[in-house]
Amino acid sequence: MNARNIRIRGVGAVSSAGWNAAAMHTAVLAGTPLPSRSCARPGDVRNWPCESRFAPPAPPEKVARHPRLRRSSAITRYSVAAALEALADAGHDPSAPPPGLGILFVMMNGCVNYTGRFYDEVLQNPAQASPLIFPETVFNAPASHVASFLGVDGAVSTLLGSPNSIMEALDTAAFWIGSGIVEECLLIAAEECDWLSAEALTYYHPKLIGSEGAGALLLSASGDGPRVSEIIGPLGYLSWQERCDLLPELAAQTLAQFQGPATLINDRTGIAKLDHTEIAAWSGRPWDAVLSPKYVLGESMGASSALQLVLGTLAVRQTQQPVVISMPGSNTAAYACVLTP
Amino acid sequence: MNTCVSSSTLHTTNLILSSLVPSPLSKNIAITGAGIVSPLGMGWQANEAALAADRTAFKPVELFDTREFIAKTAGVVDLPAENLFHRIPAHKQTYFDRGTRMLLMAIREALAQAGRENMEGIDAMVIGTSAGAMPLGEAYFEHAHQDAARAPAQLSRAEYYQPQRQMSSIAAEFDWRGPVIIVSNACASGANAIGWAADMIRSGRAKRVLAGGYDAIARLVFAGFDTLRALAPSGIPRPFDAHRDGLALGEGAAVMLLEAEDVRQSAALGNISGYATATDLHHLTQPDPAGKAAIRTMTSACAQAGVSPAQIGYINSHGTGTPFNDVAEASAIAAWAGDAVAGIPVSSTKSAMGHLLGGAGAVEAVICLMALQGQWLPASLNVREIDPAVHFDLVRQFRRASLDYALTNSFGFGGTNATLVLQRRSA
Repeated sequence: MNARNIRIRGVGAVSSAGWNAAAMHTAVLAGTPLPSRSCARPGDVRNWPCESRFAPPAPPEKVARHPRLRRSSAITRYSVAAALEALADAGHDPSAPPPGLGILFVMMNGCVNYTGRFYDEVLQNPAQASPLIFPETVFNAPASHVASFLGVDGAVSTLLGSPNSIMEALDTAAFWIGSGIVEECLLIAAEECDWLSAEALTYYHPKLIGSEGAGALLLSASGDGPRVSEIIGPLGYLSWQERCDLLPELAAQTLAQFQGPATLINDRTGIAKLDHTEIAAWSGRPWDAVLSPKYVLGESMGASSALQLVLGTLAVRQTQQPVVISMPGSNTAAYACVLTP
Repeated sequence: MNTCVSSSTLHTTNLILSSLVPSPLSKNIAITGAGIVSPLGMGWQANEAALAADRTAFKPVELFDTREFIAKTAGVVDLPAENLFHRIPAHKQTYFDRGTRMLLMAIREALAQAGRENMEGIDAMVIGTSAGAMPLGEAYFEHAHQDAARAPAQLSRAEYYQPQRQMSSIAAEFDWRGPVIIVSNACASGANAIGWAADMIRSGRAKRVLAGGYDAIARLVFAGFDTLRALAPSGIPRPFDAHRDGLALGEGAAVMLLEAEDVRQSAALGNISGYATATDLHHLTQPDPAGKAAIRTMTSACAQAGVSPAQIGYINSHGTGTPFNDVAEASAIAAWAGDAVAGIPVSSTKSAMGHLLGGAGAVEAVICLMALQGQWLPASLNVREIDPAVHFDLVRQFRRASLDYALTNSFGFGGTNATLVLQRRSA
């Protein structure tokens, strides 16, 4: 048993393009940025631009019913919808998840809506802050809700970090499956965007557009589905300059792993200052297609690498060719991976 | 993730998952260094002395205004005033969270104990935290609310609010570029991080990992526990007391250097012999009254360690002092231990230093290591009348003992349960 035998059996996604992976795939293939709108802030009017692309309202069939979900934040609802889609995509009955399922959850920002609301209440009057809200601010609340919804009482864990931390989670999922800790593993990364997050992104670049959503992958040692045949990285860096210096090496190591036609899914935002090093690094060979989900969907922070993986899985299924995913990260390490049929 | 063993090659080498081969469940992982910062003191010796003296560490919280809170005290760490980050300019020191500073101190102690000056040869760092750098997030929030104008200083607050950015600063302090994995399973985070690291070594994905956890007291978190009425109004936690009325918050950090036996370069202080994690689906914040998930983790961790309950010479319980937690844990220990329960010494060191949240599991694992090394048992303090659910040997005063294995439980919001089993090593 090893990770080369791990298959991505099912995928699901919620994004600014809609409440399923196909909607995201269609939007990214079209290559046109989705409409954005000014992100409203409470109180004073902002006199500087801050755009966002939120997930659209959930269609009725995507609204899951469960006691735990009554109070849960958007990030949990996105996660549950993506997880159910991934299970169904893998041929499982979402209402009766398979035994031996584990969950690994990745996020960067977490439950910001409730955190902001609770802290606002604390600043106003701590004695009247709601005890119902605080538990929903904890980073692992979404994973707990998904586990409760699916009845998963085994290994469930949440990782924080850059979006590409999902590669560490993927590695651990492979270990869990390989060592029998779980039989299959749901890998979920999700994020919700509030006005504070959207504003924070503009400090990195005024044109960076905040987004949100969830990507889910059902990983298994058996069955059909694309394989994660290579993971390159982590190539650690301690500064933006080191990151720029490392990306050509990341690309070179990745491209040495295979030949022939392939699709590239990159991290391009559409902002030249942020993108130019990555684009240059991967320009050394022709690609059958280059997909840029962030450019189309927006910066979904912790969810973005999961959305890349979901998109990569769909691209492998469609083209039956390798897909290279570039995940340069923003402040710790760069990764890339190769998905093959 | 790494198939190579050296951090010097780690960041320039393709890390291909194909080498992943499960290793025997019983493989021991050597602990060659440990560092601890807690409200009881800085470092192993200070904490050992405080535990030996049955000392508590609660005092008024002055980090923020507590007038509107029910509880007003906590286990607060007296951090040194000097800049701890030697490689980072003084003007950036304000962006380092208190918890990160504590973690850096614990890392330095662990490395020193292992005879190391830096992190060369360490394949990964796995760190647990529940709150991360929450005070930076609080500052970002407050500035954003107070003024709608664009404020360039917000970039640093947003950047350093991210725990991975804080960890990256620690990595920079050692000029180290290995992977940092941040586990956030609420109050089980620290134990999960150590178990995660042990799994990395067991599976051959790493040879040498620095693992632990941290959390610092933050206003939002303090308010959260206060609104839940989880904090003891008196400020004195009484785990396993029949009339306990809540927990006290604390802060701190602890780290262990874990090494595969075949590459071990320093004397072993102990072993991580067993680890298991499971999920309690009962409620987001309340444990299953029977502690079924805890029974599973204690059973599985001991099976991996190859020991029976009767061989466990000490349990550092999760023991928060809340009514729900302690009765559930006591029931779980009784069910798991069976006839052996009366002979198993148990205590909660949260009674002395408070609940360190994401740091708790790591700090309590290091306390287990200290107990194994020193052959002593720390006490559950402040107990007036033992809860009838307690059937184990509740340690109410520091005592000398002979023990080869210690077990520590950690339970978190969201239902994460984790159990670590540590084994004594003489050298």
